[in-house]
Amino acid sequence: MDTNLDPERLCLIIPHFSRADVDRKLALMPYRLSELTRRDLLIRGGEGGAAVFGLSALLAACGGSSSKSSSSSSSSSVSSSTGAASGTPKKGGDLVFARSVAPTTLDPANTIIAGDIYTLNQIFEPLFITNPDGTLALWLAKSFTTSKDHLTWTFDLRPGVKFSDGKPLTADDVVFSIKREAANSVGPLSFLDFAIKSVTAQGSSTVVMKLKTPWAPFESDMSVFANAILPANFGGKSEKAFFQSPVGTGPFTLSSWTPDSNLTLKPNPSYWQTGKPYVDSVTINYVTDDNQRVLQVTSGQAQIADSVPPANVSQLKSNGAVNVSEFPAWQVDLLVFNEQVAYFKDVHVRRAITYAINRPGLVQAASFGTSKPGGSFFPPSLEYYDAGTPVLAYSVANAKSELAKSAYPHGFSTKLLVSGGDQTYAEFAQIIQADLAKIGIKVSITTLDHAAFETTFQKYDYDMFIDYAINDISDPDEMASFETDYKSGGSKSYWSSYDNPAVISLVHQAEAEFDTTKRKQLYAKIQAQVAQDAPFVALDYPPYIYATSKKVNGFAVNPGGAYRLADVWLD
Amino acid sequence: MGAGWSYTARRLLGAVLVLIGVTIATFLLLHAAPGNPAEQVLGQRATPAQLHALEHQWGLDASLPSQFWRYAQQVVHGDLGTSFVYGKSVTSLVGPRVGQTALLVAVAVIFAILITVPLAALAASRRDSFADQAVRGFSVLGLGLPSFWFGIVLIEIFAVNLKLLPVGGYGTGFGGHLESLILPGVTAALAIVPLLIRSLRVGMLEVLDADFVAAARGNGLRESRVLFVHVARNAAVPTVTLLGLNIAYLLGSTVIVENVFALNGVGSLLLQAIQNRDFPTVQGITLLLAVAVVIVNLITDLLAARLDPRIRLR
Repeated sequence: MDTNLDPERLCLIIPHFSRADVDRKLALMPYRLSELTRRDLLIRGGEGGAAVFGLSALLAACGGSSSKSSSSSSSSSVSSSTGAASGTPKKGGDLVFARSVAPTTLDPANTIIAGDIYTLNQIFEPLFITNPDGTLALWLAKSFTTSKDHLTWTFDLRPGVKFSDGKPLTADDVVFSIKREAANSVGPLSFLDFAIKSVTAQGSSTVVMKLKTPWAPFESDMSVFANAILPANFGGKSEKAFFQSPVGTGPFTLSSWTPDSNLTLKPNPSYWQTGKPYVDSVTINYVTDDNQRVLQVTSGQAQIADSVPPANVSQLKSNGAVNVSEFPAWQVDLLVFNEQVAYFKDVHVRRAITYAINRPGLVQAASFGTSKPGGSFFPPSLEYYDAGTPVLAYSVANAKSELAKSAYPHGFSTKLLVSGGDQTYAEFAQIIQADLAKIGIKVSITTLDHAAFETTFQKYDYDMFIDYAINDISDPDEMASFETDYKSGGSKSYWSSYDNPAVISLVHQAEAEFDTTKRKQLYAKIQAQVAQDAPFVALDYPPYIYATSKKVNGFAVNPGGAYRLADVWLD
Repeated sequence: MGAGWSYTARRLLGAVLVLIGVTIATFLLLHAAPGNPAEQVLGQRATPAQLHALEHQWGLDASLPSQFWRYAQQVVHGDLGTSFVYGKSVTSLVGPRVGQTALLVAVAVIFAILITVPLAALAASRRDSFADQAVRGFSVLGLGLPSFWFGIVLIEIFAVNLKLLPVGGYGTGFGGHLESLILPGVTAALAIVPLLIRSLRVGMLEVLDADFVAAARGNGLRESRVLFVHVARNAAVPTVTLLGLNIAYLLGSTVIVENVFALNGVGSLLLQAIQNRDFPTVQGITLLLAVAVVIVNLITDLLAARLDPRIRLR
């Protein structure tokens, strides 16, 4: 079966869309190094975020590069928003990016940190990437086929791709890179490669991967940054030396780097997409202060700032010098119940609390309307999200009658754990406290700094906590299993201890189901059952919020939080 | 001379004890605080086996006393260890940042003096006048307001509205650095200026009552000369001492000021390292800051003695 969308082909079908505007997805699971990783990156393109990258940029991109398209099917329709075209891409200029996350390493296999991921993916590329709309696209792979039993996957590499040292991409490089990640015992995302049995080269441009089990998310797994392609044997260098001056197939190479301070990229002269990148250099400055990042863009000192605080969005939108963009994320903020605690073992208590929380009100008050109120535990940007999920919508009356059915009809006192330093979560906690007081549940809030917070809930030392869950890849299995598969998901259902064998069985069925219609039904069932069991409350779906100078064109962020700076050009 | 040497020896011994104390306290606090560095680096998907492997690699699975002993041995040999997060030596991380923070502190001290001396002189020379009341009111207000707030206000005025200075960052070249450090320098200075003004004003008032001031005036010296030459110099001693003591406070406030102004100095690195539970980096920076404070205090004492020979170093 030959599945997938070749960006080249998309260019032909939908003029608006270009291979280049496609971004790979990579996110950073719910794991962050500090407060300054994932959550703070939430962004999105205000008035037509995706539209920011211009039509002509896309057309130019489409016209500008060679290579054949491959057949594609399945996977998702490409929803392209209408682009506010803004002229032909211009070459030149130095792009300065004020970013809340700093890189610590450029080794794709050994990181889960946003600052690393969003930097190294300017240098390295995987076989597939994720478009800004969340769909997958062939990237270093030109096409692929799978055997009838779905156990043998054959990838043909895109011709004409070179590393930044001028050497051509070969099958050996892919074999080396995938094997390295799959065997990486301390790789934060190496679990995504668990299904791989063998990886072999067939000639110089074909790679064959054999799987242990039919694994539907596999092509999506191949798109994760951790599976990016490096030169075989690090091009003869030591691993350490290689990552000091990395060589990849991506649009940029490392120019200079002062850890925890700034990093400069320069164009890769051998880049396979002729004409890109447009800018002469990219400087990524590490700026932790929210206010400072925004001011650097409004004052012209930087052209892009990430993690704009929701409170600043409306004010910035009235500033003539900047665009504010909100990009949908594969993220959901959750209120998690600890089922090891007697109150929360009782499904009626969990349901009552879900009914009691006014999610539309919470979104207005705490996110200033930037995020969408929660329903399903899948975010709407995720594939197989079911808008028809029967959620327990806000209703104090329902909450009261549900609590009356529980073993604690008159309420009880409990604790809510939150991570400090996150204003939005602090406000969520207060709103939840007030909402639950209305049904007789008295909540006291405990705030810990992020590292302490994580250690605490991962020891199950909590009653309820607020955190976010993220998908790193376009396939929803990662989120489904991490949050509901008590036995083998890796986190006892996001530390809730929720264990519904029926749901677990559906998750496993979906993993092996290649028929997209059937898969969709399975995920709809999972979302419906989880909504009724209420192991956690989906509070909201926050976007990634970026501020960019009006001079910036072609900047887009995919739901995994990644962006391709090769597509950015400056007026 | 003998007395001076024994004084120096005692001060040095005291300094070493302070540094040992700081090292032990930092070590214990870091290990007592909840939060696991391996969890921070590996993320939520980490298996227990992965966590243990990393903890073993970092030596965190050894007993606390043996970890401390190993750390102490390293430090004695000038090695501050390797950052958990960056995999680079702490000295190589901190080294390039020391200059930035030192320059920030120097600029802050200069601004502190430039602001303090005229205001204190004004207040002292017109005791209980409106000007005096205004200066004293400013001091009280300054003590109560957080320095990051001053920072944001200064950015709004001078960078955003007037566009005279950069919003943040460190600029390029020495001139660029200095230009970038004006607002952060003033912000950091404002954190200690109120204390200095009060001290210098009181000192000047005392001196103004002294006989030699009356004599100087009697000799027909201009009031400004009396004030800035005779009075200020004699009133400077307690202020210099106070300034020295407050360098520690100033160093502490650079953590906040660096963040507000996007300066990537030692303070901002410390903050990140704490959030990430990067033990070696936190320990290394804390030790360096302690050394800096001890040295500044020593210099302050020597300087005070130089300014006022009546002070004996015992």
